[in-house]
Amino acid sequence: MAEELNNDGMLDMFLYESGQLLEKLEGIILEKQDADCFDESDINEIFRIMHTIKGSSGIMMFENITKVTHRLEDVFFYLRESQPDNVPHLELVDKVLDVSDFVNGEMEKIKAGEKTDGDEGPLLKELDDFLAKLKGEIKDQGIPLPKQKKNDEPSQFYIAPVASENSRFFQIVIHYRNDTMMSNLRAYAATFALKEVAEDMLYTPEDIMTNESSADVILAEGFYIILQTKSSAEEVHELVDSTEAENIEITELSAEEYGQKLVEHGRVDAPPAASAKASEPAKEEKKAPAPVVPGDYVVKSKETGKGKTLAKNQPKKQSIISVNVEKMDALMDLIGEIVIAEAVVLQNPDLKVPGLELPNFQKAGAQLSKITTELQEIIMSLRMMPLTNAFQKMKRIVFDVSRKLGKDIEVQVVGENTEVDKNIIEHITDPLMHLVRNSVDHGIEENVEERTSRGKPAKGRITLEAKNEGGKVYISVKDDGKGLSKEKLYEKAYSVGLIGERPITDFTDKEIYSFITLPGFSTKEQVTEYSGRGVGMDVVVKNIQSIGGRLDIESTEGAGSEMTLVIPLTLAIINGIVVQIGSSSFVLETASVKTFMRITSDSIITEPDGEEYIVLRDECYPFVRLNEKYNLKGAGTNVEDGIIVVLEHESRQICILIDKLVQEQEIVVKPIPSYIKRVKGVSGCTQLGDGSIALILDIASLVDNKERRI
Amino acid sequence: MAEEIMEAAGLEEEAADESQKGQFMTFQTGKEFFGIGISYINEIIMMQPITLVPEVEDYIKGLINLRGKIIPVIDVRVRFKMPPAEYTDRTCIIIINVKSMVIGLIVEQIAEVVNISDDDIVPLPSLKRKEKEQNKYVYGLARLEDSVKMLLDPEKLIKQEDLVKIEENQEEEQE
Repeated sequence: MAEELNNDGMLDMFLYESGQLLEKLEGIILEKQDADCFDESDINEIFRIMHTIKGSSGIMMFENITKVTHRLEDVFFYLRESQPDNVPHLELVDKVLDVSDFVNGEMEKIKAGEKTDGDEGPLLKELDDFLAKLKGEIKDQGIPLPKQKKNDEPSQFYIAPVASENSRFFQIVIHYRNDTMMSNLRAYAATFALKEVAEDMLYTPEDIMTNESSADVILAEGFYIILQTKSSAEEVHELVDSTEAENIEITELSAEEYGQKLVEHGRVDAPPAASAKASEPAKEEKKAPAPVVPGDYVVKSKETGKGKTLAKNQPKKQSIISVNVEKMDALMDLIGEIVIAEAVVLQNPDLKVPGLELPNFQKAGAQLSKITTELQEIIMSLRMMPLTNAFQKMKRIVFDVSRKLGKDIEVQVVGENTEVDKNIIEHITDPLMHLVRNSVDHGIEENVEERTSRGKPAKGRITLEAKNEGGKVYISVKDDGKGLSKEKLYEKAYSVGLIGERPITDFTDKEIYSFITLPGFSTKEQVTEYSGRGVGMDVVVKNIQSIGGRLDIESTEGAGSEMTLVIPLTLAIINGIVVQIGSSSFVLETASVKTFMRITSDSIITEPDGEEYIVLRDECYPFVRLNEKYNLKGAGTNVEDGIIVVLEHESRQICILIDKLVQEQEIVVKPIPSYIKRVKGVSGCTQLGDGSIALILDIASLVDNKERRI
Repeated sequence: MAEEIMEAAGLEEEAADESQKGQFMTFQTGKEFFGIGISYINEIIMMQPITLVPEVEDYIKGLINLRGKIIPVIDVRVRFKMPPAEYTDRTCIIIINVKSMVIGLIVEQIAEVVNISDDDIVPLPSLKRKEKEQNKYVYGLARLEDSVKMLLDPEKLIKQEDLVKIEENQEEEQE
């Protein structure tokens, strides 16, 4: 631990930990935004989070973060000590979010290598005012002052964890060598190490993290820790031991002695009321730690005493490491190369000698394939991340936007643990944000009466749902608002000239809904801060299409709308079918291939303008000759010699003619070099087993192209 | 693996940049000799099977697979608006690296590496035509004892392509 504290990793650790804490904080806040107040465990948790960030930012010398978090900590300290009744909850929520935003902003600056120059002044003042207001209100209404209130504090707030018989109590005194630099950091490292096994812990001096002069005190008097733990003295010794420590005394205490020590240590800074209380033996355990000042580490009472601390916290810390994404990408690339190399070996032309049988080789090859497949699966799973964070952001957006628009909206989240490739998460966050804003702004009715008159609850509801089905991820944003009006959509599209002169009966419901994804379309008359410029939805759709996904829109007028993003689980490796047209190889994504068949030439209908169609089982499919379109030499032109492939994209079909089916295999998608600008109908390329290159056909654009011409 | 090799090559290039100044790889296309600054050149490989890419300019011949890296190749003859020639066993692909874009140039025959001092390079005489029609990628002529070599500016060669293509794309979109 000590090493970690003394190198650059410390900054990473600070950013990582604080980031996690802030996420947790937002989670708590958003969960309780609609409650009347925070309950005690929340207050404790927020207090603890602020305290931790304050402490670590103090070490890292990010003063403005320290100040702001300290001030919010004060507020919560007050809240938990005096438990005032009339806390303006929403205002408090706002304050906490402000602080969280501020710290997040500063952390972004730190990540970018900039100085933390955010002005904490206004925020500090707001918090001060807020705290003053809280205190003022209480005085006015004659509610007992904080210290008196302490007397009947509910025990849930802090229970000294005495329940376990296995708990042992230690007093640890560490003397550091006189020449130790920054002994306060050493001491912090020791407490940090002990946290992992501690059920409860107190130490003096307490302000080791924030007060540099504490280093001198530690050097002169030693560093005192009293600890409740299940570990043995030897284990504890091992944890606190460091090269700088000159002498470590560990004394085991009885429970009574331990209680006594707590009081002694508590007394160091305790207000008189608390120490007086502490003398009542029955309540001693409960009360003594109450005046704990910021700086003490208090393990949350809920987790202690049940022996859960070890099981819950420790494995998390030790079993998760953060890895640079670049390294993951490099690994991914390498595994891609292995997959290709495997194909090169197993399908080597040298093996294709008629009559050659290589049973042992085949066996070994099968084993190799199995391993590479597993490797692929594992690297894929490494890149998978749950949507939890993305959804939390969305919750925050709903919260912000709905407050500003004066709408009362609750958010329901389903399936937030659904895992998606990290790259894809990056691509969908913005589109998702847009959909959520739209739902809040356009979806949910402005007037509560409008809702109640339709028999809906006054409170709007937005449901975020994610599920994983058949290699695709479905993420939907559903609101119970007014829904889309087909007539309005049609009129609007008609008036801005997006659809020409076609009557409304020409369009299916789906087509009409999809008008909103056309560039320059917005039915909201007034542009708001959040949406309504009409540039949004087409960008959403483009972004989603760029990762091979699509947007489904469903809506019932008066009852709400549902926007669903359907996206592939991963981008890098797909299942594909290799086919040959002339001398060129192409890859078709397996999921989009509907059927292969041979047909006779009389199933082809040719329109006067040269467009061809194939009639199969009473259905008529557009037919594209890729060899003509792409000018491929040596391809068969007679449909009776080749194979017809029916491809499907978003329930639209198209037929192509191929000469030969080669095989189905896993395809490592590589981008077409940027020098060659986007080729229509080709989404990427891959290397086949014999080292040659095959182009991956982009079914979506093939279908689109064909449709447009119709 | 391929990346490592490339990287290694790149490093050597950097280190050797100074000593490579004034060195040009020359190659023959048609009757003319051309030169490319040697620092642009990654390697020279034999002709390879090329995968055609549909709907691109005719001089972009397609893609080759160079040890796992997929690289576009262009035919220099076609690029210079000369009639295409049959590929023979003397046909080579020069792999150049321009601003970290790796591209193969198909040339009929590799000649030699020559030293050309700055004094021997004269700018291209103005052809007094519209600027557009001028040979934008030839930036100078080098007089050697027995011949004249046209020196190519690979950066322009690439950049011009892009411009042309962007224009074309815009035209398409307007249609």
